[in-house]
Amino acid sequence: MRLIGVDVGGTFTDLVCVETESGALTIHKVPTTPHDPSEAVLNGILELCELAGVARESVDRVLHGTTTATNAILEHDGALTGLITNEGYRDILHIGRHQRPQHYSIRQEVPWQDRPLVKRRHRKVVAGRMAPPEGRVLVPLDEAGVRAAARELREEGVEAIAICFLFSYLDPAHEQRAREIVLEEYPEVFVTTSAEVSPQFREFERFTTTAMNAFIGPKVRRYVSRLEERLAENGLTADLHIMGSNGGVATARMVCELPVMTLLSGPAAGIIGGAWAGALSGRDSLITFDVGGTSADIGIVRDGAFAEASARDTSIAGFPLMVPMIDIHTIGAGGGSIAHLDAGGAFRVGPRSAGAVPGPAAYRRGGTKPTVTDANVVLGRLDAGNFLGGAMSLDVDAAGRVIDGLAAELGLSRLETAEGILTLVNANMANLVRSRTVQKGLDPRSFALVAFGGGGPLQAVDVAAMLDIPEVIVPPAPGITSAMGLVATDMKYDLVRTAFLSSLDAEGAAARATATLDAMQAELAARLAADGFAEADTAFERSGDVRYVGQGYELRVAIPAGPLDAAAMEALFEVFTGLHRAEYGRINPGNPIEIVNLRVSAAGRMPVLGRPAVGQGGSLKAALLGHRPCTFRMATGLETLETPVYLRGSLPLGERIAGPAIIVQKDTTSILRPQDSMVADPGGNLLIQVGGKD
Amino acid sequence: MPETPRIDPVSASVIQGALQSIAIEMGYKLMRMSYSSIIRESEDFGAALTDATGRQIAESMQSTPLQSGPIAGYVENVLKVLAERGETIAPGDVIMHNDPYGGASHGPDIAFLVPVFWEGELAGFSATTAHHLDVGAQTPGSAGIVDAIDVYAEGLQFKAIKVVEGGRRNAAVWQILRDNVRAPKLVVGDMEAQIAACEIGAERFRALLAEHGPARVTAAIDALMDHSETLMRRAIAAVPDGVYRATTMLDGFEGDPERSDLTLAVTLTVAGDSIDVDLTGTSPQVSDRPINMPFTGTTDIAIWLTLRSILLDSAVHGVIPQNSGLTRPVTIRAPKGCLANPSFPAPVIARFTGGNQLADTVMKALAQAVPGQVSAGIGNLKVIAFSGLQGESHWVHMEIFEGSYGGREGMDGMDAVDTLYANTRNNPIEDIETHLPLRVTRYELREGVAGAGRWRGGFGSVRAFEFLENGGGSVEGEGHRYAPWGFLGGAEGGTSRLGIAAADGGFTDLPSKVSYRAAKAGESFVAFGPAGGGYGNPFERDPAAVLDDVLDGLISEETARESYGVAISGRSVDAEATAALRA
Repeated sequence: MRLIGVDVGGTFTDLVCVETESGALTIHKVPTTPHDPSEAVLNGILELCELAGVARESVDRVLHGTTTATNAILEHDGALTGLITNEGYRDILHIGRHQRPQHYSIRQEVPWQDRPLVKRRHRKVVAGRMAPPEGRVLVPLDEAGVRAAARELREEGVEAIAICFLFSYLDPAHEQRAREIVLEEYPEVFVTTSAEVSPQFREFERFTTTAMNAFIGPKVRRYVSRLEERLAENGLTADLHIMGSNGGVATARMVCELPVMTLLSGPAAGIIGGAWAGALSGRDSLITFDVGGTSADIGIVRDGAFAEASARDTSIAGFPLMVPMIDIHTIGAGGGSIAHLDAGGAFRVGPRSAGAVPGPAAYRRGGTKPTVTDANVVLGRLDAGNFLGGAMSLDVDAAGRVIDGLAAELGLSRLETAEGILTLVNANMANLVRSRTVQKGLDPRSFALVAFGGGGPLQAVDVAAMLDIPEVIVPPAPGITSAMGLVATDMKYDLVRTAFLSSLDAEGAAARATATLDAMQAELAARLAADGFAEADTAFERSGDVRYVGQGYELRVAIPAGPLDAAAMEALFEVFTGLHRAEYGRINPGNPIEIVNLRVSAAGRMPVLGRPAVGQGGSLKAALLGHRPCTFRMATGLETLETPVYLRGSLPLGERIAGPAIIVQKDTTSILRPQDSMVADPGGNLLIQVGGKD
Repeated sequence: MPETPRIDPVSASVIQGALQSIAIEMGYKLMRMSYSSIIRESEDFGAALTDATGRQIAESMQSTPLQSGPIAGYVENVLKVLAERGETIAPGDVIMHNDPYGGASHGPDIAFLVPVFWEGELAGFSATTAHHLDVGAQTPGSAGIVDAIDVYAEGLQFKAIKVVEGGRRNAAVWQILRDNVRAPKLVVGDMEAQIAACEIGAERFRALLAEHGPARVTAAIDALMDHSETLMRRAIAAVPDGVYRATTMLDGFEGDPERSDLTLAVTLTVAGDSIDVDLTGTSPQVSDRPINMPFTGTTDIAIWLTLRSILLDSAVHGVIPQNSGLTRPVTIRAPKGCLANPSFPAPVIARFTGGNQLADTVMKALAQAVPGQVSAGIGNLKVIAFSGLQGESHWVHMEIFEGSYGGREGMDGMDAVDTLYANTRNNPIEDIETHLPLRVTRYELREGVAGAGRWRGGFGSVRAFEFLENGGGSVEGEGHRYAPWGFLGGAEGGTSRLGIAAADGGFTDLPSKVSYRAAKAGESFVAFGPAGGGYGNPFERDPAAVLDDVLDGLISEETARESYGVAISGRSVDAEATAALRA
């Protein structure tokens, strides 16, 4: 099968074309066209077909990572949106949890008040109310009121309508009926209901997610249909699939209904690409480390699978977002992060970034602030004459000047300052990794760090050493790992239902869980069948959000396939207890346990990628480009060593190579300290063994 | 100015980052492990690390400021009390403390302290505080105990009690506790969560000491506090020197002439890089009603946090480490025996909203010096403890009712949020109704009430809770009699209001403080939140902004005309008529 992956980034649109049987891989990169990203996508695909020598109509699938939805939220540039909600609760979206985003600030903004997704004038209320525990109707839905609200919203010119009723996760009937009425009155409007977007309790978070879906809906729908049209006009009849935040792709049609599922898809493709790279060398416990110009994304892969974020930890642009999402954490630390003394005189790196323009001083674009990249240049880690495979030359003097400026303020030498910048940025990254591992009861020593993005392989060994991580993996093409992730993933759909099943009645809980999970699975199976997946190519995973009765936060527990009985429930609660101990260091014996939400995740298996053709490898001698002075922190202090520079593509396979070393390739530079060594793995990766702290 | 730190700047930043992540982890885990909604949803808890003398090193980013801020005061008092009793602290101890006159400032905020030892020496404390549902006071719940006549009537007092000693649980203390609080399962479950979070913090703190050595960690901590102090001194130095005075009024107990209409008086003296805060002129303590504000834990925190929020506003200055260094440039004086420095055993349990009013008074004084950095008067808060019996067991639910902010230069006030030294969260309606015999029948903005101004005050909320079974509620609140102040020509905001709505629609107004009032099934507590004060002359407000408020149904066309001088015609501004009105 022939797949094309297209990942749209802020600066570049990355493309890969793979033949799943042969593993043949072609890579391409074109500048992103921000005014209309589909332009670069289309042109990139056409050029890629040319490069790979494949006929356009022979492409089976195009897998696309898009930031259209994300940018609409970040720039607050979406549709004029209306809301229909219960009478008496007009301002749930506006009051939120009544908490200010910042504790110690008078002049702060409140995102949901200062940048509302739906203005109050477009928030309409209608009579109708359900109540727990089963969704009993206290007040019947005022259908005439819904009709009147739809007409008003149409007159007011809204393009999208969110329908959000309290307790709709117990029974979506009122929302569904309201949706029918809205469509009768206003057939062309984008309409979405809170139970279809995220049927989970907590109204502010659910309503906000739903309003966001409406806010970005028309824009995403326009983008996707235009792209489909242009592909077809150019002879590409391939199915278009789009990456979701949950780590899987979905059909274009599904994404047009639930665009909110793509809001955090960019980093999701990266973690999948990292997992794919790890698998090439048989590694399945991974910390993915994706470092770009302004930020670093960190994800965890265990047994080849990624973790999903807790529904209460996910947000975008300050708004809570209640959708299934890969557990990825981002910090503002990257190559462009600016080192400075703060107002109190403390040494800090980031979160402010020089970005692409003016960029680091070394980029010759007018940057005057010392950045992480400038520190790497000063320490000899980046090759001034051969940056980006020679596409750009770095200004070593400028980098030295800006580091000197900071060094004077700190009273440190140039090299101490540059190395200090790296130490601080690496410590920030290490703290983030600790929060996802040590704080969850996971031992970082049992993981490998997969480093990618332009900056990952530069920092990876130092970060790994701080955490006692024994191995760093640099994938074959670190700069396009996200695009690889697109072609390496499966079709993935998730369903969630709020359940409240107690351990006090294990038998009843088992029966209800089985029935609910079976129904959810049937719904997902039908969806995958409609997408053309044979039953043999589908897989389902069940899980529950579980907590001690009375707690407010849940832990995710896997639920086995098939019918459950009381014993299976007991086993499940036992697993929960173990997780609780790992996460919090203690358990609460005798306290009843409950399943709050049931989840089913469905995968439609895409063809497995063959291994990329790596070639026979060269010799160390052939790979050696020369030597360069490069500074490292040794037991006795900083030392500058004549360090060999190797060309990645010419390295011998399977031969252990001692550090220190600088390995260059078109899209990144990898650094080995004197303590480290590496092997170019026949699987395609560089495997770096991280030496001890001395 | 502080001395030069004795540690290189790179190591200092690395160690400080690690300390901050420890405090964050503690808060994150406490919230996730705990049981009662006042902790897990409202986030009325705190978590922090201190050094061996009680100086605060780092605090959780979640949690409410009024909980994390006082931890230093708790630890200092525990150390003092233990020394007086001749007790020593040993590894494996867990100390419980809630002495209102010993740092806690009211009994429900119970702290647990786990000492951190390194090579036999006490290196610091890992501490958490949390507002507990019930501490055995005269009426159910731990809010709205407005009739207590002294601290003994406010519930159990624990003064530096080792609930675990050298790793052995003191079973008697735990049993006494269980037998004397309502909802003991929730209360004890929350306490266990607190201890677990402390133990995690202590373990991480020890790992940090092992990695960097105590000398370097201590040096980094000193540098961290010096750094915060430097930032605060620079910010103060930028404030014009001078003496700035303000007063505001508290409702106290409406209808009780001896205990109502109380004064909070603040005199700020800014001299160079330090500030002196003098509360002389504040009304005497109310010796037999619990609205007094202990100096340590409420008065000091209200002042410190308000000064910090204005002078080192995180929206302007970025995140600044919150630690004891920030408080060094500030001295506070309050005459003994006044509302803001009461004498034992004057009752204090309902000091929450008074303390927030004190914070507002500090802002009002500072407004004269830095008008661009403040808001006009804030709308104060209210807490209601709802309770009832199911069989022989109590259910208790506490809900904090939001206020609102006054207008700010270039920005309207924040609507329906917690204010100043508090920053809790409401409980989701879908959570409340799933777990309690309560129904939230209304929750939206309170239309038509806001302080007019060039930048108007924020709108308050209307929130109604209906009892589905017989039960009752206790209330502590402020702001029924005195409206939030307007600033620079802005109008006063709106007072808040509370009442009971009967099933048949009848409405009875209640004062801002209500000792337990029984409620029958079908009756509702209805709270109309306060609106913040206006900032600047309303006749200078952008007519388009006035139109927006009309279109959004927040103010009427009549208000637009009368308060703002803006004529609306259809869905647009009538520019000519507006010019005439404003002439």
